Amino acid sequence: MNKNKYKSVQGKQKAAGWMFLAPATILIFVMSFYPMIRAFIMSLQTGSSANMTWATPNIFNNYTRMFKDNLFKGSLVNTYLYLIIQVPIMLILAILLAQLLNNKDLKFKGLFRTMVFLPCATSLVSYALIFKSLFATQGLVNDVLQKIGITHSNINFLGTTATAKIVIIIALLWRWTGYNMVFYLAGLQNIEYSVYEAAKIDGANGWKTFWGITVPLLRPTIVMTFIMSINGTLQLFDESVNLTKGGPANSTITMSHYIFNNSFGNGVANFGYASAMSFVVFIMVAILAFINLKVGDTRD
Amino acid sequence: MKRKALSILLVSAMALGMFAGCGSSEKKADSGKKEAAKVDTSAEDEHTLSVFAWDENFNIPALEAAAEAYKAKDPDFKLNISTQSQSSDVEDAVTLAGSSGDYSTLPDIVLFQDHFINRYVNDYPDAWQDINDANINWDDFGSEKLSYSTINDKHYGVPVDNGTVIFAYRTDILKECGYTIDDMTGITWDQFDKIGKEVYEKTGKYLLSMDGNGNDLPYMMLQAEGVSQFKDGKPNFVDNKTMADIINVIVKLKQDNVLYLANDWSDYTDQTIVGDMVAGVMNGNWIIPTIKQVKDNSGKWAITSIPTLTGKEGFASNGGSSLYVTANCKNTDLAKDFLAYTFGGGEGSKDTYDNALKNGGVITTCISAGQSDVYKEGVDYFGGQPIYQKIVEMGANVPTVEQSDYHYTAREQIAAAIHNIDGGAKAKDELKNAQDQVNFAMGNE
Amino acid sequence: MIKKKVNSSAIQRRLIPTYIFLIIVSFISVFPLYWMITAATNDTVDVAKGKIWFGTHAAENFQKLLNYGRGINLGGAMWNSFFYAVLQTILCLFICSLAGYGFELYHDKYKDRLFGILLLAMMVPQVATMIPLFKMISGMKLLNTSIAFILPAISTPFMIMMFRQNSRNFPVDIMEAARIDGLSEVMIFFKMYMPVMKSTYAAAAVICFMNAWNAYLWPKVVMNKPEAQTMPMLIADLSSGYTVDYGLLMMGVLFCSIPTMIVFFVLQKQFAEGITGSVK
Repeated sequence: MNKNKYKSVQGKQKAAGWMFLAPATILIFVMSFYPMIRAFIMSLQTGSSANMTWATPNIFNNYTRMFKDNLFKGSLVNTYLYLIIQVPIMLILAILLAQLLNNKDLKFKGLFRTMVFLPCATSLVSYALIFKSLFATQGLVNDVLQKIGITHSNINFLGTTATAKIVIIIALLWRWTGYNMVFYLAGLQNIEYSVYEAAKIDGANGWKTFWGITVPLLRPTIVMTFIMSINGTLQLFDESVNLTKGGPANSTITMSHYIFNNSFGNGVANFGYASAMSFVVFIMVAILAFINLKVGDTRD
Repeated sequence: MKRKALSILLVSAMALGMFAGCGSSEKKADSGKKEAAKVDTSAEDEHTLSVFAWDENFNIPALEAAAEAYKAKDPDFKLNISTQSQSSDVEDAVTLAGSSGDYSTLPDIVLFQDHFINRYVNDYPDAWQDINDANINWDDFGSEKLSYSTINDKHYGVPVDNGTVIFAYRTDILKECGYTIDDMTGITWDQFDKIGKEVYEKTGKYLLSMDGNGNDLPYMMLQAEGVSQFKDGKPNFVDNKTMADIINVIVKLKQDNVLYLANDWSDYTDQTIVGDMVAGVMNGNWIIPTIKQVKDNSGKWAITSIPTLTGKEGFASNGGSSLYVTANCKNTDLAKDFLAYTFGGGEGSKDTYDNALKNGGVITTCISAGQSDVYKEGVDYFGGQPIYQKIVEMGANVPTVEQSDYHYTAREQIAAAIHNIDGGAKAKDELKNAQDQVNFAMGNE
Repeated sequence: MIKKKVNSSAIQRRLIPTYIFLIIVSFISVFPLYWMITAATNDTVDVAKGKIWFGTHAAENFQKLLNYGRGINLGGAMWNSFFYAVLQTILCLFICSLAGYGFELYHDKYKDRLFGILLLAMMVPQVATMIPLFKMISGMKLLNTSIAFILPAISTPFMIMMFRQNSRNFPVDIMEAARIDGLSEVMIFFKMYMPVMKSTYAAAAVICFMNAWNAYLWPKVVMNKPEAQTMPMLIADLSSGYTVDYGLLMMGVLFCSIPTMIVFFVLQKQFAEGITGSVK
C-alpha cells in the first residue's frame, strides 16, 4: 500500500512535468513545425499561390532549379562570407571585451558595459537607417577619413561591391558584439577568482591563463553563442534589405532576402521556389548547429 | 531596491495587460477578435467606400480631393483611406489574400502600380471585378496609360496619375555655362554629354543623377526610342542594338562625371536632389515635389523633353498607378459611379483633378481635365513656366511599347549588368547573363 | 595605508591601455546613437549633408511626427507597440519558464529527446513559415488582433533553453521540502520557483520585450489595418514614399528606440544576473 502510494505520487509528479511543458511544446509544433511541413509541401508545387499544382515534370523541380540559379548561388556565397568573416571577429572581440571588463580593478565597469551593450537596444530598421547615412557618399565617415588624410576623395561605400559588404559586416559587428559580450561576461563571472590566483602563482601570464583557463571554462557559452550567431547569420535579412537592398548588382544579397524577393518582391510571387530555398537554408543551419554541438560538447 | 523596481514593473505590466485586455483596446485594434480580421466592407453603409493607397504627399491628397468632389452628388459619401507604407504593401495584401483565398482583408478599391496589375489579375482572377460597364468615356485617356489597366480586353482600372517623364534643368547653372533650356531640347545624348562635362567642370554639379539600384534610366531612354526590353514575350537584350547603344551612353555619362548613380532610392532623392548635387533631374513627373523641397532654388528650374540617340525630342513614361475595384467590394455600383464621376472624367473630374494637382502634384492623363485653368497657370518654382500643361502635352506623345509582368525583373537585371560593365566587364557577356537570368525567372528555360 | 594607495595607482596605471581601448569601443558604440539624436533636431537638408551638431528643428520635427499618419498617430502606434510587447512578454515568460522548469526539474530521457526536437524550431527560417502561418491565422479569422501578433512568438526554443539552463541553479531541496509541506506541483512553481528565478525572468523580459518591440516582418503581414500599426511600421512609413523627411524620420527612430532603452536601463542589473545563470 505504501509502495502504491509512492508510485501514485511519482506518477503525479511525472504528469505535472509533462503538463508544464505541454503549452510551449504544442505551440512550437503548431507555430513552427506544422508550417514547416506545409512549406515543404509547397516546395514541391508551382504556380500562382491561389492555385498551386504539383511541380512537373519532376516533383523536385524547385530544388533542381536552384542549381541553375546564379542569383541563388550568389546569395549563398554572400551569406557564407558574412558568416566566415563576421562571426569569428565578433566573438573574439566579445570575449576580449568581456575579459577586460571582468577585471576587478577596473573603474566605471557598469558604464562601459552599458555603452557597449547599448547598440542592441536599437531596432533593426533604425540602425540600418543610421548606418546608411553615416556611410553615405557625402556622409560623415567619408568626411572624417578625408580630414585625417587616409583618403582624398569621397568613397561610394554602399555602391561598390567590396565596400558594401564591409559596411554590412561593420554594421553587424556594431549591433551584435555587445550582445555576445554580455553572455561571455556572465560566463566569466561564474569562474571562481581563485582559479586565476592559482594560475598566477604557477607563473602563467595573461595570454596563457586566457587560453588555458578562460576559453575552456567558457566553452559551453562559446558553443551557445556560436550556434546563435550561425543561425542569425544564415537567416540574415534586415541588414541586407535596409542597408543595401541587396545591391549593388545583387552583390550583397543574402539567402533570406532572396527568398523574400521570390515570395513578395517585384510582384512575382513564386512560393513554391521560395519554400524550396528556405528548406535548404533550414537544413544547412541544422547541420552546422549539429557539428558545432558535437565539436563543442565535451562534458559527460 | 531592485526587487521593488522589478515588482513595480511586473505589476504595472500585468495591470496594463488586463486593463487593455478588457478595456480600451477593444475599441482599437482588437475589437471583438473575430470580426476585426476583415476590412469590414459589409458593415459599411451605402454611402461609404474604403481604399488602400500609399503616399501622403501624392496620391492620398488626390483621393481626398475625389471624395470631396463626390459629395456634390452624394452628401453622405465617405471614403475611408487606409495609408499603406509603400506600393508593395498593396501588392502583398493581394498576394496574401489570394494565397489564403480569403479576400475579406481587401478594401473596396485599391490603388495599384501599373506595371504589376496585369500579372495580379492573371494570377488572382478572383480578387478583382472589371469595370467595363462603368459610365466612362475611355477615349478621354492617354492610350499608353490605359494599356496597363486593360487586361484580356476588359477595363479593370481608372487611371489616377501620370508618369510622363520630365527633364528639369537648373537654368541658372546652364546660363553660367552659356546654355539655355532650348539648347537642351531635342538634342542627342552625345551633345548632352558634352554640355554635362562643361557643367561639371565649371560648377562641380552633375547634370543628371539616378537611382543605380532600381534603375529607371535605361527604361526611360529605351521607351523614348520606342523600344521595349521585351520582344514577343521574351527579354530582348542581346540582339537589341538600341539597348547596347543606350548602355554605352550611360557608362560614358557616368565616367565623364555627367551622371551620378546613387546607391538607392532615398540616396537619389535625399542626397542628390535635396542635397543639391545636380543641375538636372529626369524622371516621372511625380519627382517634382522632391525638387521643390529645396526652397532656395525656387525660380531656377525649367522642364523640357528628354534627349535621344538621334536628336529628336524624347517622350517616356515611368511609374504611375490606377484604381481597381476588388472582389470584396459589395457596393459595386457606388464604386463604379464614384470612379466615373471623379477620376473617370465625369462631372466631378475637374474639381478632383484640380485639387489633386494643387494638393498633391498629381497630374492627370484625362485629356479633358487637363484643359482646366489650373493646368494653364505658371508655376513660380519653375520660373513661371506652365509646367503642368506641358506635361499633359508631352504625355500624349509617349510611345506604347511591349510590356511584361517581368518588367521590374528585367530592369533590375539591366541595372546589374550596367553596374558590372561600368566596373570593366564585357557588355556582351553581361547582357547575355542578364537575359538568361530574366529568362530563368520567367521559366523560359 | 600609503603602500596600498601606491599599489592601486600602479594597477590603474597598468590599466591605461585597457581604458583607452574601452573608451574607443564605447565611443564607437554610442556615436551612431548620438548621431540619431542630433539628426532628430535637424531638418532634412542638413541631415542629408551629414551635419553632426544639434539643430533647431527638434520642435518642428516632433510636431510633424505628432501629426503624422491618417490611420494612426504617434501615440496610437506607441500604445499598440507597447501593448503587444507587454502582452507578448508576459505570456512568453510564463509559457517558456513553465516549460524550462518542466524540462530541467522533471527531466527524463523522453523529455530530453523532446527538447532536442524543439531546438530544431530555432533553425526554421522565418521567411519559410510566413505564408503557411498567414493562411492559418487568416483561416482562424485572427488577422489584425493582438493574438495574431504574439502567437508565433510566445513559445520560442531560445527562451525555453534559457529558463532550462537557469533552472539548474534552482535548489531541488526546496521542492522536496515544499512537497512535504503538502504544496501541489503547480503551487511549487508559483510560490517557490517564480520568486527565486526573478533575475532570470528579468533577463528574459528584456530580450523578449526588445524582440516584440522591434518585430517588423511578421506584424507587417498580419496587421494590415492602420489602427493596428506599430512603431517599426510607422518608421517604415516615414522612410517610404517618393520623398523622405530625414529629420522627421530620425525623430521617429528616436521614439522607437527610447522604450527598449528604458527597459534595458531599468532591468540592467537583473539582466546581467539572469544571463549569468543561463551560461553556467
